[in-house]
Amino acid sequence: MKVFKKGRLEKILDKLSESAEVYVPMMRGAQSGFFDYKTYNPDFDELVLEALNVLRPPKEVVFPQTEKMYSFKQEGQDVIIDKVYEDENPRIIFGIRACDLKAIEYLDEVFLTCGYEDAFYKKRRENTVFIANACYTPGKNCFCESMGVNPVEPELADIVLREYSDEGYVWEVKTEKGENITRLISDLLEDKEVQLPELKKFVIKVDYDGVAEKLKGLFEHPMWDRLSEPCQTCGICTYICPTCHCFDIQVKAWGDEGYRFRCWDSCMYREYTQMAGGHNPRETAKERFRNRFLHKLEFFYERYGKPLCTGCGRCVFVCPSGVSIVKIIEEIKGA
Amino acid sequence: MKEITAKIQETAARLLESGQVDIFIGWQKGEFEYNTKPFFAHNVEEAKNLVFDEYSIHNLSNYLLKFRDGHEKIGIVVKGCDSRGIVRLLQDNQFKRDRLYIVGVPCPGMKDPLKRMYEDSGFAVKKPADSEMAEKCRHCIQPNPVIYDELIGEEKPPLLKGERFKEIKELEAKSYDERYAFFEKVLSTCIRCYACRQVCVACNCRTCIFDETKPQWVGRETNVSDNMMYHVVRASHMAGRCIECGECERVCPVDIPLMLINRKLIKDVAEFFGPYEAGIVYEEGAKPPLSMYKEDDPDDFI
Repeated sequence: MKVFKKGRLEKILDKLSESAEVYVPMMRGAQSGFFDYKTYNPDFDELVLEALNVLRPPKEVVFPQTEKMYSFKQEGQDVIIDKVYEDENPRIIFGIRACDLKAIEYLDEVFLTCGYEDAFYKKRRENTVFIANACYTPGKNCFCESMGVNPVEPELADIVLREYSDEGYVWEVKTEKGENITRLISDLLEDKEVQLPELKKFVIKVDYDGVAEKLKGLFEHPMWDRLSEPCQTCGICTYICPTCHCFDIQVKAWGDEGYRFRCWDSCMYREYTQMAGGHNPRETAKERFRNRFLHKLEFFYERYGKPLCTGCGRCVFVCPSGVSIVKIIEEIKGA
Repeated sequence: MKEITAKIQETAARLLESGQVDIFIGWQKGEFEYNTKPFFAHNVEEAKNLVFDEYSIHNLSNYLLKFRDGHEKIGIVVKGCDSRGIVRLLQDNQFKRDRLYIVGVPCPGMKDPLKRMYEDSGFAVKKPADSEMAEKCRHCIQPNPVIYDELIGEEKPPLLKGERFKEIKELEAKSYDERYAFFEKVLSTCIRCYACRQVCVACNCRTCIFDETKPQWVGRETNVSDNMMYHVVRASHMAGRCIECGECERVCPVDIPLMLINRKLIKDVAEFFGPYEAGIVYEEGAKPPLSMYKEDDPDDFI
């Protein structure tokens, strides 16, 4: 087995950063997310590869919250597209968990399949390498296993890291992309036979079986009135969700030039469904809330054959009003 | 707390039974002992789920906005700060007093369930604070409800220790550049989830300026300039109206010190137009200082 000692982590990241943007789980001030290692400042940031996960999901590496698409200017009677901002920089997401990697697989479905290819996403995605971090100890709100994720065998990974003890990580190469990356740091790896930990039991189990089918007849069910009561329609759940991918396309312009950009949008917001004539089909929390869960648990399944939830547990612990998708799935089962 | 819970259940059951209220808003226990959450009891049976414990921190008065266009009579439990939220809604003409049955509970200071949820998640999160009590409660000047139909429990002393605007004065003492750098840093992290707006009882505009599209007053990009625009505009709409419940700062997923901004405005409004504390007394027809005009209003800052 190839392994590396924890003391060598920063050396590895330094080396990888020479040829790519390396996104690493970090605590930055009060927030945690995947940040570019080049911006790592040990006085202010903390590397948190050992934490269960970070609050801001790594989806933003391939699908940034705000992304410039192209800029334009007016010349005489014509409008000239000045620049198209397709981003091909090589990137590595270092330490991504299986749930978040599964989420990228779902984003791939949305942005690359069923007859639609999103050029901006594609460029970023093709140039991204995933170094996953296998999860052996599920957290209090984790239920990835119930949503079809194997936490110790992250799919799509080019390399899998396995924390075998406090000493270090196994470095397991999975793909050719992974081979190429490994060559860059091979002098920092060593050969060692180690015992891998066992996957601990999940506290939370969710039974998603049959939920999508059942939901077909539940659009008008009174449970949505009650379940949505505490929801205050903020967008935290959608923005920290590794799978939520709704966006809006807008423009900023001054005089005769400007740029078009896209930015995350949230089905929790009024503006999301505001229609030109003033009508809003999702006026209250109930309609927005219902749509969010139907999208996750029914509509996405109908289109792609899987639910739009990987059981990462983020929305469960961040909701100011205590809404839990685990409870909602239970309610649907019982409805 | 158990006695208070029992009394709340009793009151709620009585009100729901007699039809005096249609819905009773309080708290229920969550999945863990610490994630107490808002609860809406619709009948006597459900009143048994109501609790009041050390995690009953949410300002429930915000939930009244869900019912503002209806005719339901609502029972609601309020602590000191939450009751100021009710005054906010009454003063802003968002709710009629006679649709409400207010159960006041003097507040001993709360712990934050959200903070515990974050800490126990196993995720990398901010280090725990040095006190068990929620940050917002450490600044509390009004633990006792200011408006109620029924009071449950003994009145409590204010929890604020030391000087009220200490942090604000420290900030004021900094240079323009230092302050700009500070706000640039804290506001750059905003993810524009609008949780601060959504939990705010003073944010009761039917169409929020940030949702308007014609014209679009504030850009939707998450960058320092749009983020600052959002926060500066929201803060100025809070001037003289913020009832200091601290919910905005509590729910912020990226820990923006929003109450620092709100307290600066509370201090300024009190100095320029005061003495004034928003929502501390309910007087029919009374308006916050920036919602009316007096000839002797100071204008030397213009």
